[in-house]
Amino acid sequence: MNIKHHPTDQTLMDYASGKLSQAMELLVATHMTLCPKCREKVAEFEALGGAALETANVMSMDAHALDHVMAMIERETANENVVFREMSSTRRVAVGESITGSAIPSVPRPLADLLPDNVLSLEDIPWKSLAPGVKHYQLKSIESKGTVRLMKIAPGVSIPDHGHHGHEMTLLLKGSYIDEIGRFRAGDVADLGNDVDHQPIADTAEECICLIATDAPMKFNRLLPKLLQPFIGI
Amino acid sequence: MSGTTRTRPGPADPAEAKRCASWIVAVAATQDREAFAQLFAHFAPRVKAYMFRFGGNSENAEELAQEAMMQVWRKAHLFDPQKAAASTWIFTIARNLRIDRFRQRKHIEVDDSDPTLIIDDSPLADEIVDRDEHAVLVKSAMEELPADQKVVVELSFFEDLSHSEIAEQLDIPLGTVKSRLRLALTKLRGGLEGVA
Repeated sequence: MNIKHHPTDQTLMDYASGKLSQAMELLVATHMTLCPKCREKVAEFEALGGAALETANVMSMDAHALDHVMAMIERETANENVVFREMSSTRRVAVGESITGSAIPSVPRPLADLLPDNVLSLEDIPWKSLAPGVKHYQLKSIESKGTVRLMKIAPGVSIPDHGHHGHEMTLLLKGSYIDEIGRFRAGDVADLGNDVDHQPIADTAEECICLIATDAPMKFNRLLPKLLQPFIGI
Repeated sequence: MSGTTRTRPGPADPAEAKRCASWIVAVAATQDREAFAQLFAHFAPRVKAYMFRFGGNSENAEELAQEAMMQVWRKAHLFDPQKAAASTWIFTIARNLRIDRFRQRKHIEVDDSDPTLIIDDSPLADEIVDRDEHAVLVKSAMEELPADQKVVVELSFFEDLSHSEIAEQLDIPLGTVKSRLRLALTKLRGGLEGVA
């Protein structure tokens, strides 16, 4: 996979520090599954978090904190040994089954985890029509802040010119599109701030499937009336 | 009485960072309690301060720090010294526990056993990075940052503030927060380049 467009460093740092909304986090983790470079960058930002932990102030623990934790660990270990002995025979069967029975998923795990169990590939997604040439699937709302949805756009269809109110990221999963910023292919991320206006067009014979995460759900509603009068590009 | 804050130096050289890593490895291999006590003494007060800044309550922070250290014990077998320094790994445990408790959800992460995972097959990817050396370099690069940049980085990791909230707290324009952060990241990266 030849990924050319990545989340900004700021977005990756916010992922590492644990500040992104769940919608954004999902998109970044899905991209990272496909992008070793961003995995390495996030590892670097996490090392920065480790350095912050080392250099920041400390707060002394209660006098008996360690004893307390050791006691809890001991209790837990005692319970686990019993459970483990009881379960070990059944567990072996379960592992064997999962190895022979599972299909190789084509959807990266962070995203697959939020799709219905019977969805094994992007084709199985229960799409809902949004406008001619545009289908979508809204992922089960996770945190109230932000929304995340999958969109499927027919070849040649353009998403009308729209600005961004708040942070919006798009991860391309299939096909390609082109806009004022450049050409986006599977694995690429468009990480757009408030001030970008763009008008993406699915520019090949293949349909385009993307994951869109936003921290400002209102904007999409304003886009909808425009979508209902689409024009066919190319 | 807990709740007093003071600064205590972290590992100053790779040997010390390696010692922290070896304690985690010892906990995983032999349930070494002495090694765990060392880890506890070093990291629990740091994790407590981290939790305090998000929760604002010292009892809560104490409880979360203890819970984080229990996870260090439980997950020690998952620690890979080739992939992360001890401080990095414990930071991610604290971060994930914070998100779990304060935002009632899991931090979404890459699954290393995901069949769709794309592995870097370029020759550079084979280069072995010494994570402990790296951690020490990051730490000293961070200490060398000008105070105004350092505080922005710290607030980014240690408080659940957006950039505009950081701007508000420091009483500086939003653009200044962004440019200080960008400068800090450039410096941190530049400081590391010589060694990679």
